[in-house]
Amino acid sequence: MPQVRIVAKNFMDMVAALPAMKLDQLYDSSFICEAVLRSLPPLAKKYVLQLLFIDAPVTAKSIEEWVLSDGISKHKVAIDRLLQLRVFSEVIDRKKEASYKLNPKFQSNMQRYLVHGGSLPREPMPSSVTVRLPTAEDLEAYALEQWECFLLQLISSAQAERPTNFSPSMMRVFQRGLLSARENEAPRLTENGFQFLLMETNAQLWYIIREYISTAEDRGVDPTDLISFLLELSFHKMGEAYNLNTLTDVQRSAIKDLADLGLVKLQQGRKESWFIPTKLATNLSVSLSDSSSRKQGFVVVETNFRTYAYSTSKLHCEILRLFARVEYQLPNLIVGAITKESLYNAFENGITAEQIVSFLQQNAHPRVAEKTPTVPENVTDQIRLWETDRNRVELIPSHLYEDFPSKEVFEAACDFARDVGGLLWEDSKKMQLIVRGDIHQHMRDFFRRQK
Amino acid sequence: MATITMAAKYKTSVKEPGIPGVLKMMEDRFVFTPNDPRSSTKLNVDFRQIKGHKFSKDGSKQALLNLTQDPEKGGGYIFEFNSFPDRNACRDFVGKVLGRIQSAEKPPASQHAEQLSTKELERRMKLLTEDSELQNLHRQLVANGVLMDSEFWAARQNLLDNDNYGAPKQRAGFKSAMLADVKPLADGRTNKVTFSLTAETIHQIFAEKPAVHRAFLDYVPTKMTEKDFWTKYCRAEYLHKTKNSVAAAAEAAEDEELAIFLKHDDILANETRRKIQRVDPTLDMEADVGDDYMHLPDHGILRDGSKETVEGDNEFSRRTLSQDLNRHGAVVLEGRALDVELGDTRTVAEALARSKQGSSTENSDENANMEKLERVCRMTEIEDLQAPRTFPVAPLCIKDPREYFDSQQANAVKTLGDNGAGMKPMDCSLSAEEAWIYLMGQISQVKVRGFNHPIVQSEAALKVLNGLNQNLSSTKYQFGKNSQESVLDRLPQRIKADLLNHWTTIQELLRHFWSSYPITTEHLSKKVIRLKDAMTDIYVKLQEIKESVQGDFRHQVSLLVQPMVQALDAAFAHHDNEQQKRAAKGGVKPNGFAQ
Amino acid sequence: MASLVPPPKLYTDDVSLIVIILDTNPFFWGTLSNTSALTFSFSKFLNHMIPFVNSLLLLNQLNHVVLIASGVASCGYIYDSATAVASDGGQKVPAVCSEILSRLEEFVAKDQRLGKGDLRTVAGSMSSLFSGALSLALCYIQRVFRSGMQHPQPRILCLQGSPDGPEQYVAVMNAIFSAQRSMVPIDSCVLGMQHSAFLQQASYITGGVYLKPQQLDGLFEYFTAVFATDLQSRTFLELPRPVGVDFRASCFCHKKTIDMGYVCSVCLSIFCKHHKKCSTCGSDFSHGHSELDRKRKHSEV
Repeated sequence: MPQVRIVAKNFMDMVAALPAMKLDQLYDSSFICEAVLRSLPPLAKKYVLQLLFIDAPVTAKSIEEWVLSDGISKHKVAIDRLLQLRVFSEVIDRKKEASYKLNPKFQSNMQRYLVHGGSLPREPMPSSVTVRLPTAEDLEAYALEQWECFLLQLISSAQAERPTNFSPSMMRVFQRGLLSARENEAPRLTENGFQFLLMETNAQLWYIIREYISTAEDRGVDPTDLISFLLELSFHKMGEAYNLNTLTDVQRSAIKDLADLGLVKLQQGRKESWFIPTKLATNLSVSLSDSSSRKQGFVVVETNFRTYAYSTSKLHCEILRLFARVEYQLPNLIVGAITKESLYNAFENGITAEQIVSFLQQNAHPRVAEKTPTVPENVTDQIRLWETDRNRVELIPSHLYEDFPSKEVFEAACDFARDVGGLLWEDSKKMQLIVRGDIHQHMRDFFRRQK
Repeated sequence: MATITMAAKYKTSVKEPGIPGVLKMMEDRFVFTPNDPRSSTKLNVDFRQIKGHKFSKDGSKQALLNLTQDPEKGGGYIFEFNSFPDRNACRDFVGKVLGRIQSAEKPPASQHAEQLSTKELERRMKLLTEDSELQNLHRQLVANGVLMDSEFWAARQNLLDNDNYGAPKQRAGFKSAMLADVKPLADGRTNKVTFSLTAETIHQIFAEKPAVHRAFLDYVPTKMTEKDFWTKYCRAEYLHKTKNSVAAAAEAAEDEELAIFLKHDDILANETRRKIQRVDPTLDMEADVGDDYMHLPDHGILRDGSKETVEGDNEFSRRTLSQDLNRHGAVVLEGRALDVELGDTRTVAEALARSKQGSSTENSDENANMEKLERVCRMTEIEDLQAPRTFPVAPLCIKDPREYFDSQQANAVKTLGDNGAGMKPMDCSLSAEEAWIYLMGQISQVKVRGFNHPIVQSEAALKVLNGLNQNLSSTKYQFGKNSQESVLDRLPQRIKADLLNHWTTIQELLRHFWSSYPITTEHLSKKVIRLKDAMTDIYVKLQEIKESVQGDFRHQVSLLVQPMVQALDAAFAHHDNEQQKRAAKGGVKPNGFAQ
Repeated sequence: MASLVPPPKLYTDDVSLIVIILDTNPFFWGTLSNTSALTFSFSKFLNHMIPFVNSLLLLNQLNHVVLIASGVASCGYIYDSATAVASDGGQKVPAVCSEILSRLEEFVAKDQRLGKGDLRTVAGSMSSLFSGALSLALCYIQRVFRSGMQHPQPRILCLQGSPDGPEQYVAVMNAIFSAQRSMVPIDSCVLGMQHSAFLQQASYITGGVYLKPQQLDGLFEYFTAVFATDLQSRTFLELPRPVGVDFRASCFCHKKTIDMGYVCSVCLSIFCKHHKKCSTCGSDFSHGHSELDRKRKHSEV
């Protein structure tokens, strides 16, 4: 089961894992080049820019000269990345020295981009045709709602107000890592599921998209197309309407799914229908390793362990329920308290204290966000302490043997247990022996043999 | 004037009536001829034998002038004049003469015989042994006669002062032991009580209890011996300690001296009264209200009036502990007024009295009063009733910025142009119009034509990159891979040590060199010459080092050595200039500068 | 349990705010293009500079670029990428270019009007208002600091070629020290024929890069290889260092650079000759020589 890691990097890894031909295809679009460039580590960006106008290969040594001794590791990481993404291609000359060259397509695209800029394959539709374009706030609200709805459905299908258009199989795919269902039981969130919920929106989005793309092949869709479409989408202007008929078939089918996720809004006019990218879509192009879409936080944590969440969304309520005891739910406020029981609950489910703390910190209400620390220290310390509490005691199922007939038998049993590696405790005076549960059978056989 | 003649009386000590006569002072000696031709006390003394002169204050009983021969012994020729102006005239004359003489003969003597106390010497030796660099420098310069020892140390005064030799700067104050510890040793068997009073304690007692002090001065040794005095005092203290007011009253009635010890210290009372009078009436008592900690529990001293015993009219009411403490604190803060050795009680008492006299502010300054009155007026004025104050407006003074910023453009440009990397400054052949037109044209050109594609030719870009790389590798080579590493570290140890050594020596030499200018005395010019020779030596040595280093280091070493050489050159140039100027002037000195 | 995200970094390391100061001194540019050695015209310069701005904006979505022009009689803001009218998406680049060009044109026209009455006809020494532009840059940066929002670490890039105006020495040094205080590095790229003492000192004191390109037709390459490096990466990269910096001060009376001079003990202003009175703070030096010597004479005694 894939661990939910820093998803953005994973996406790029996915891109890098595409076969060479497909990757080159991707680099046809200057937007993808731009997106890829932005996702590189800073040193790699510099190298690309440096070599942008140079056709001949440049020796690796000459690039390395720029680097001080403590930056060598970063340099290596950058070069590896560039090679992985096939932005750099390595050329070994006769002297067995390595030199690098930029991918020619990438290079020409970027060169042109610097001077002329890129152009999207589609233009926004004139406003005469489009009617009732939603305002920016509406759009944002819509996107948020869609996304939350989707998440709610993800967690527990019963709770969603509006089922999405995803087929159950699709949902199952998404839930693959996040929920586990036993027979006749409602699916419960797994460890990864919890972690997923506590992540940031962008990271969650990328995770879902990654899943979506990785299953594309099964649905008969070329993942490369999807990737390029998604990256392109991020360069569209938010709030502008783009005609649906400019999309290819593949893209058209994808757009419906994306609308369910809240990335675009579909609207129908009299004759035409169009889609409007939302903020979620345009944020995809933001440097893929950071999240600067600071949405408003909503949680205030007090030093007496009470939490006040100024939010109306059910999703937030669910998330809070994960680790806090929700006491009241008012029209715009969720009042809860972080208690030992609720935290233990969370720990059982596999959430770590760090995740809880970082969730609280990232989603801090603007009022408390400027204070340091955003979450009171006694709360964070206590959460961590309670977590370590659980590690104090280690439970091992075991068996206790007593009433040995004689000392020799006892000694023999001890030795045997020790050899097998299951001896946990012995008391020669009282002649008691505690052995690990899993070798209980062995012990019984041993005693029988003794007799 | 070359001679001065004055009527005076000659005596050998202050109390003598003196032999009237005429004192005649010339440039090199003075002659005293008594009026009485029969008297044998004629004097004809060379001024060279006179080491110094002392005189009594203007306005004292006698107008005395004492020409001392030997500073230690204090004896000399004492002349009494009829009036102070006379005495002052003679005094000034003597001063001049002495000054002249001493400056003439001082140079050989004084510079060598610097009166160093052993402490000073010790300090210097200690510094030298601690700092080997300093020792090196000292050896190089002073041992070789380039600099004088005195000059060497003159620049290092701060090092010497920092030592903790000598008296600690802080003086110890009074101990508080007196308050608590002067307890009598009560001998259980006999009914004897022993007090022990040390000199220190006595000093303290005088400081803190002025009435006792006054009593001491009055009664001892006239009325009673010191021992008696102290016995009475101790008795009074004992009575006080027993808090037996009735017994105290009884004893006081008998013995009036004892009574003094038991009474309130009236001198103190006077003093405090005076102090209270001097308190500023504009003192804002309200501001201190918050400082009263009485309202807080456990703070402050709880004074429950009911518990206090009313002493009534008893004169000998107890001094309270708080009074004692306050007095003690006040005295400690005043500091020790005396540095007199605590020997004889009498002298201590006298000294204390004298110092008190000196520092008393009885003569309340008129100024202080005036200030106080003014301040009172100011604080109590009612704002509404005041006329609007219009202060005279000070005219705004903005210095002409041109004076500050402007320059002789041609000059400045020329010199700035010299800084360039060897390229000659551009001659601009464009007129103003042309230039603007050109610029606008260029911009519109870009607008119309757009950008070239590619922006940079590949070969050009490659060349640039290679150039930059080369630049990088060469600087790395020059400065070392690590910016922390300097050229010095890569040189062989000996050369490095030599260079550093020379550097410190040069700094020292230059410091003395520049401080000797402008040259006014013979001594300075000789010093300068000595310094210059030393510097020339080092210069030569530096050149040698430069030559000796081989190959690739040579350039770097010469870079290192460059500032030193420059500084030395500047010094030499200055010296030569001065020489020339002096030669040109031909020896005419203004103001009688010795040369 | 595997830990999930690393502590959230609010900004990736390489976001930068770059304030670029352009030299639009027509005399300098005109002279430069006439010099036969280099055929570098203002249009060629723009050809390199504007794509460089684009490349900076390309590197990171959050990069922020501000252009300030320093003319002969005035200086002003030309372009600010945060408030630019440019649309998102593909049309950005040409929009940026056109905006920069049109604003530049306006600025030059205004500069010409303002400079009409100028008496300085020694055109070859015509310097641009570098100190003014530097002050504008620092003010902008201060505004960003005080806006309270998160901001990237700013730096200033000076593309200068006009000779140093000696009358601006004090103002430039003050600006440099305040940049040092706010920890804003000043990079310099000298386009003219001569090195600039001001810029050398500026880059040295604030920890920036000073470069005098040997080949002006590869200017873009210099830009991208050296000046596009963000501040974070500079900590482990080796960038071109000048071999020596001219540290000499200029005297306050004639503005000559001097090695040795007289310093006022009150305000520390430097003079090349002995003056009776300090022209900056007004303190009197006339008691200087004679009394000093008399005192020294006595101390020798």
